[in-house]
Amino acid sequence: MNRHLLTAVLLSGLVVLLVVATEALGVRVFDRIATNLCVSLVLVIGLQIFMGNSGILSFAHIGFMGVGAYVSALLTIPAQMKGMALPDLYPILQGIQVSPYLAIALAGVAAAVVAAVMSYPLMRLSDAAAVITSFALLVVLHTVMTNWSNVTNGPRTLFGVPKATDLLLAAGVAVAAIVGAVAFKESRTGLLLRASRDDEVAAAALGAHIPHLRWRAFIVAAFFAGVGGALWGHFVTSFSPNAFYLHQTFVILGMLVIGGANTVTGAVVGAFLVTGAFESLRSVEARLNDLKLFNDQVVGLTEIVLALAMIAVLILRPGGLFPSREIGAVLARAFANKKKGAA
Amino acid sequence: MTFALQFLIDVLSLGGAYALMALGLVIVYGILRLVNFAYGELIMVTGYALFLAGGTGLPWLVMAAMAILVAVATGILTEYVAFRPVRAKSVTAVLITSFAFSTLLQNAALLFISPRPRNVPLPPIFSQTVEIAGVVTPMRNLLTIAAAAILLAVFAFLMRRTVLGVAMRAAASNFTMARMLGVPANLVITSAFAISGLLAGVVGILWIGRIGTVVPGIGMEPLLVAFIATVIGGMRSLSGAVLGGFLLAFIDTTLNYTLAQDLLKFRDAFTFGLVILILLWRPQGLLKGPATGQRT
Amino acid sequence: MLEVKDLEVRYGAIRAVRGVSMKAEAGQLVALLGANGAGKSSTLMCVAGALRAAAGSIRLMGEDVTSARPEAMVRKGVATVTETRDVFPDLTVSENLLLGSYVHRHDRAGVAADRERMLQLFPRLGERAGQAAGTLSGGEQQMLVIARAMMTRPKLLLLDEPSLGLAPAIVDQIFEMIRVLKSSGLTIVLVEQNVSKALQLADTAYVMRLGRIAAAGTAAEIAATTDLGALYLGG
Ligand SMILES: Nc1ncnc2c1ncn2[C@@H]1O[C@H](COP(=O)(O)OP(=O)(O)O)[C@@H](O)[C@H]1O
Ligand SMILES: [Mg+2]
Repeated sequence: MNRHLLTAVLLSGLVVLLVVATEALGVRVFDRIATNLCVSLVLVIGLQIFMGNSGILSFAHIGFMGVGAYVSALLTIPAQMKGMALPDLYPILQGIQVSPYLAIALAGVAAAVVAAVMSYPLMRLSDAAAVITSFALLVVLHTVMTNWSNVTNGPRTLFGVPKATDLLLAAGVAVAAIVGAVAFKESRTGLLLRASRDDEVAAAALGAHIPHLRWRAFIVAAFFAGVGGALWGHFVTSFSPNAFYLHQTFVILGMLVIGGANTVTGAVVGAFLVTGAFESLRSVEARLNDLKLFNDQVVGLTEIVLALAMIAVLILRPGGLFPSREIGAVLARAFANKKKGAA
Repeated sequence: MTFALQFLIDVLSLGGAYALMALGLVIVYGILRLVNFAYGELIMVTGYALFLAGGTGLPWLVMAAMAILVAVATGILTEYVAFRPVRAKSVTAVLITSFAFSTLLQNAALLFISPRPRNVPLPPIFSQTVEIAGVVTPMRNLLTIAAAAILLAVFAFLMRRTVLGVAMRAAASNFTMARMLGVPANLVITSAFAISGLLAGVVGILWIGRIGTVVPGIGMEPLLVAFIATVIGGMRSLSGAVLGGFLLAFIDTTLNYTLAQDLLKFRDAFTFGLVILILLWRPQGLLKGPATGQRT
Repeated sequence: MLEVKDLEVRYGAIRAVRGVSMKAEAGQLVALLGANGAGKSSTLMCVAGALRAAAGSIRLMGEDVTSARPEAMVRKGVATVTETRDVFPDLTVSENLLLGSYVHRHDRAGVAADRERMLQLFPRLGERAGQAAGTLSGGEQQMLVIARAMMTRPKLLLLDEPSLGLAPAIVDQIFEMIRVLKSSGLTIVLVEQNVSKALQLADTAYVMRLGRIAAAGTAAEIAATTDLGALYLGG
C-alpha cells in the first residue's frame, strides 16, 4: 500500500477506534471528552496545514475558529431566539435559518474567505514581521468579535446556538481533515511549499511563487479552523469571544508543537496526548478543589504543565514526537528493514 | 491653551510609559531578532512582587526597588528558560517557548495567588492631583513623565558612554561581528534581558499605579503597546522604539479625544490594522533601523 | 602558528569546504586563492570560530581550537576582517575602534597607545573619528575594519578580500598597509581575488576549487605553475 494512504488510514483508524471505544464504554463524560478531542483534531490539523508546510508560525488560526463559530451561530439560531440572543441584529439576518450541517460548511467557507481577503499581502513576510502580523490579525479579529455587538453579542456570552455536534459528526470531520491534510501535504502546492521551507531560493527556481503557495495553505487552514469553530459552537451551544483568543491558541499550538508540526501524524498524536493529559489534570484540579485544601479554586495547573511540556519538547526534541516522517513512512521503513533482515 | 497643556501632559505621560515598554522589548529584539512574548509578564511579576512586599511594612521605595529587582530576575530567568536552550535551534522554537513561558507565568499567578485583582501598596502621591496653569492633572502622570525622562537619559548615557553599552549597540547591529571582536555573546544577551526586566519593572510600577491593582492578565496591554510602538519605531532601533512609543501615545490620545465612544471600542483593531499595514509597506518597521545584520 | 587539518564546513546539506588542510608559520603571509564560491570565506570564518567545523581540526600555536567560540578566538590572538567589511554603521569611528579593544578594555593606557598607532597608520580615520561608520566610503570602511582588528592585538590576522570593490588607488594603499603589517611580524592569512598582488606579498599560497585545496606551494611556485586564468574563469 502507498505509504501516504497508509498514514491516512492509520490516523483515521485511530479516530475510529476512539469512537468505538467511547460508544462501547457509554460513559457520558467520555463522550464529551472524545467529541472535544475530535474538534481539537480539526483545529490542530488545520494549523498543521499552514505551519507544517510553510514553516511559519501563525497566531491568527484561532481567530478564524471564532469567525466560523459566530457565522454558524448566526445562520442557525432560530428566528424567535435571535430577538433575545442578539437584540441588535441587523434585520436582514434575523430571518435566516439553515440546517446546522450546511451552516458548519458555510462557516468554513466564510473563515476561508475572510482569511483569503485579509492575508494575501501578509504572505510575503517572514521572520518577526510574519509573526507579529499574524498576532496583530488575531488581536484585530478578537477586537471585532468583542465589540461588534450586533452580530456577536459583544463580550457577553452568545446563547441559543442549536446543539448539532455529536461524536460521530465530529469524528467524521476529523477524518476528513486528516485525509485533507495528507492530500494537501503531498499535492504539488504542499511539496513546493515544503521545499521552500527548506530552501526558498531553490523552490523559487522550480517556479514556485512562494507567497501564493503560502496563501493557499493559509486559506485551507482557515477553512478547517472555521469548520472546527462551528463544530465546537454547535457542541457547547453558548460561548463568548474570549474562547477564541490566546488561551485556545496556546492549547492548539501546544498540541501541534508536542506532536510535531511538520507531520500530520504529529498533529494527531499531539491532540490525543494533550487532551489526555489535560483531562487527567483537570480531574486532579477538581479533586483538589473538592478537598478544599486551598482557599481559592485551584486553576491554571493544567496550563502550567502544558507550558512546561512544550518548553521541554522544544529543548529536547525540537521537531516534536514526529519531527519529519509520517507514521506510514515509519512503518513502511520498519517493514522493509525486517524483510531485508529475513532475506 | 489649557486644552493644549492637558493634551501635552497626556501625550507625554502615556508616551513615557509606552516608550519604556517598547524599549524593554526592542533591546532584546534588536540583539537577538527574537520577539519575547513573555515581556508583558515582567510587568505582571512586578505587580505581584509589590503586592507581596505590601505585607512587610518596609518603606514604599524599598518595596518598589524589590519589585523591580524581581522583574530583572524574571527577565534573566526568561533568558535561561525560554531562550538559551533553544536559541540555536530555530526562530519559531524560541517564539513558542517564550509564548509558553508567558502562559506559564500567568497561570502560576492564577494558581499561587489568585485570579482576582490584588491591591498593591502605593504611596499617597499616586492618588494626588496638582493644578498647573489651570489644568488639574494626577501627580502620577507627572511622576511618569519624570521617571521616563530620567530613565531614558540614564539609558542613553550608558549605551553611549560605557564599553558594555557600546558593545550592546554593536551586537544589535551585527552580533557575529561583535563576537569576533571578543564581546561575549552570553554577557550581552543576559544584560539585554536584565535591562528589559529593569525597564519593565519601572514601567510596571507606574502602569499599575494608574489602576492600583494587579491581575494575571495585566501584561497583555503593555505587550501589545510595545509591539505597536516597536513596529512604528523600526523594529531594531532603540531610539526608534522610544519615538514609536511617543507617536503611539499621540495617536491614542488623539483618538481618545476625537473618536465617538462606540468607535473607540475598536481602537485596538485600528491600531493593529495600522501595524499590519506598516509591516506590509515596510517589513523592517516604519522608521529606519540599523543597517543589515544577521542572527547567529 | 596555524594548522588546519581535513577541515569540513557545511551549510545544511551543502558541503562548502571538504578536507581542507593548510598551515601558516609565524610571521608568514599565506595567500588563499580561488574562484568565487570555492570555499575560501567559509574556511576563514571557521578558523575565526564564527562557523562550526563539521569535521577536521584547527590548531593555533599547538592548541586545539576546533570548537572555540569567536569571542574566545580573539582572546587567543586571532583577529578577523570579514569579506562584508562589517563596520557597525550606526556607531562612530571611535566607537568602532573602541570595540576592537574590548578584550583589553581594562588596560586604558595601552588602548590609548594602540589607538594612536592606528590613527597614525590610517590618518583618515582620525579626521572622521566622530562620524557614523556607515557614512564612510568603502575604502575608509576597509581601513576602519583593519584598524579595528589590529586593536585586538592579534598574532594572526585573517583578511577576507580586503580589496573587493575598491578603486585601484585605494587598493594600492590597502596592499601597502598589509605589507607594513606583515613587516611588523604579524602572521596573515589573506584571501584575495587580486592574485598577482597577493602573490607578490605572500610567502606561501593555497588554491581552492569546489571546497578543496587544488594546489599548494610557495608563492613563486604557485605563480609559475598554476594556470590562474583557468582557475578563476573555469571555476
Ligand atoms: N550562509 C550560507 N548558506 C548556504 N550556503 C553558503 C553560505 N555561505 C556560503 N555558502 C556556499 O558555500 C560555498 C562556498 O562559499 P564561500 O566560502 O563564500 O566561497 P568563497 O569565499 O570562496 O567565494 C558556496 O557554494 C556558497 O554558495
Ligand atoms: Mg568569499
